[in-house]
Amino acid sequence: MKRVNYLIYLSAFILAASSFKAAAQQTEETGDVVLTAIPQNKNALFNGNEPIRYKLQVRNNTKQHQNGHISYLVTTDEGKKVAEDSLRVNLKGGAGRDIGITVPKMQTGFYRISFMVNMPEYDDTLRRVFGVNPEKITSRLHKPADFDAFWDQTRAQLAAVPPEYHVTERKDLSTNAKKVYSVEMRSFGGIVIRGWLVIPRDGSKFPVHYRVPGYVVTLKPNMDNDDFIAFDLNVRGNGNSRDVINVGTDNYSVINIENKDKYIYRGVYMDCLRGVDFLYSHSNLGIDTSKIFVEGGSQGGSLALITAALDKRVKLLTMQVPLYADIRDGYSISESYGHQVFPFKVFRKYQSQHPGFSWEKFYATFDYYDPQNFAPMVKCPVLMGIGLLDQFCPPRCSMALYNHISSTNKEFVCVPNSTHEVDFNYFMFQNLWLREKFRIP
Amino acid sequence: MFFVLILPFKTFAGFPIGKYRNVIVPTFSYYRQTDRFDDKDHVIKGAPGTSFTSYSSNLFIGYGISRRLDVIATIPYLYQQNIVAPGYKLVDAGLGDAVVGFSYNLVNTNFVRFFSIGVSAIVPLYNIHNGPSPLGLSAYGSEVKLMYCGNLPKDVSKKGYFNLELGYRKYYDTQGPDQVSLLGSVGYPVSRHDQFSLDILLWRSFSSNKEFNENIFAAHDYSFFKPQLNYGHTFTRRFSAFVGGFYVPFGVNTGVGYGGSLLAVIKL
Repeated sequence: MKRVNYLIYLSAFILAASSFKAAAQQTEETGDVVLTAIPQNKNALFNGNEPIRYKLQVRNNTKQHQNGHISYLVTTDEGKKVAEDSLRVNLKGGAGRDIGITVPKMQTGFYRISFMVNMPEYDDTLRRVFGVNPEKITSRLHKPADFDAFWDQTRAQLAAVPPEYHVTERKDLSTNAKKVYSVEMRSFGGIVIRGWLVIPRDGSKFPVHYRVPGYVVTLKPNMDNDDFIAFDLNVRGNGNSRDVINVGTDNYSVINIENKDKYIYRGVYMDCLRGVDFLYSHSNLGIDTSKIFVEGGSQGGSLALITAALDKRVKLLTMQVPLYADIRDGYSISESYGHQVFPFKVFRKYQSQHPGFSWEKFYATFDYYDPQNFAPMVKCPVLMGIGLLDQFCPPRCSMALYNHISSTNKEFVCVPNSTHEVDFNYFMFQNLWLREKFRIP
Repeated sequence: MFFVLILPFKTFAGFPIGKYRNVIVPTFSYYRQTDRFDDKDHVIKGAPGTSFTSYSSNLFIGYGISRRLDVIATIPYLYQQNIVAPGYKLVDAGLGDAVVGFSYNLVNTNFVRFFSIGVSAIVPLYNIHNGPSPLGLSAYGSEVKLMYCGNLPKDVSKKGYFNLELGYRKYYDTQGPDQVSLLGSVGYPVSRHDQFSLDILLWRSFSSNKEFNENIFAAHDYSFFKPQLNYGHTFTRRFSAFVGGFYVPFGVNTGVGYGGSLLAVIKL
């Protein structure tokens, strides 16, 4: 009896020791005065009926006594001040303190909150964003009257282009576990686009992870997915699809922006649909055409949404930080930035170089391309990830897009301390979400 | 007691099954003992020609009701040969104790580690009104289990998984028993399709009935330590198989058991 008891006690001790070690590792920090802001709700999203609460952890890592102020300032995402407060703080050397901050209830929207610590020998500002009732955020759709006709006609033009698919096995890139193919096809306007198809050897039929690229991003063979066929398409002007269009990030989004019929994204959106055509015409490669999910981040997020909107053969949509969503509100938000960032940095630069190109003219084209105008056409299950500190794709715009999506089977994940990206945790969840939706073991 | 020696504990691990998905695990087990441990942890040689052997099959079914909540059920069928004296063999066969319940994932850490609780009812599937049965403890019971599992810490190993379970069982009979178990498992893949795992099981059963009993199935107060080494092969995403062997190196009021199991994991 004793030996079994000893083993039970020893196991329990090892477990407890491991827990203490893990806890101890989480408390390491550096800096003179460390300010940490922890929202009461982990994702920094609040209900309109509840106050917005943060726990501020202030730690004085110096040996000197620190005497000063801690204050906060809340503005709308367009920079309008809505709340502020301040309090005195005295911290002995090496001491720490937790301070509860309660911000008055706010109306639906996203808000910037800055926590400032001002001490005689130390000043710092911590910038965060929180949201209130994100699923109630609305935006006006500026959908041109001939929007549907425009895209019907565009799709008809795409259909008239013979795809001329070429699929070439790349043994130099293949592994024991996966076959890699380079694929090539003709798309809208007869332009050649290319991509990569990676097929696990471990099976005969697989669902498809169809990835579309971020802004002027080169997609390469995706070797990371064991349970899906990975299809990565470089739309025109991206990666290995630069035969005709080969410009940098400063010019890509403004190619022919003054003409809605020739705007770069008309062909780009059709490239994404041609990618679905490719998948459907190559089921002989083991593609399970009943299980295609389209995914992308940033520009790719919007391309993924538009693909799912225009082509119902796509069964699932996952997108992160979708670019260009709710472009008009995006413009208003961008006006409050101290330094311009993409995408309006590019649009404003173009405007400054082209007198007479007004914002009205910009919208006369872009209203045909704003992803949120496509959102009501999305009927399949959707997962979206956003970063609250994202200035390229402000969370209000992403949520406006999300709320316009017709599908009721939709979820979003908010990563509070991310900028124009989501975190590893999101992708772990996305993996589970996909398996759940496709019933993949 | 007998069932904990042969059932595939790994199927109860705290990994959520996943919403709308099923796991089915049929298991075939072999168990044999000739010697036993007395109440002082000493090995008592069995009488020549005596032994106890069991061939059992067990069906585990799990279904993911939600992302956190699974319903699970285990149904055993037993075939036992107890040679109590040369030429005198008792044979029993039938359904054993079913375990039916729920597993709920309380906390997941970045979808890498999972802390779950399981609550189950133990339901005898044999007649319990005719005295002690060789097929189980002849009493209804309940079980609460805390489970923590996931990837091994990166500073330990870049691949592999672990599972820790702390369980408490209570049988609703005047003599109980109450049982506490601690299971630790470590699995390590050696190739894309192959893995080895080691299960360490500690089991302690408490009862007011301290009396030594020749019939190990009637024993209420006992303990044992059981390591089991398994080899697993993944045939497809939906089908894996494990084969394992175990030995009971020490215990109290229990058999010096050894045997093996073959189980399939079918994910639907």
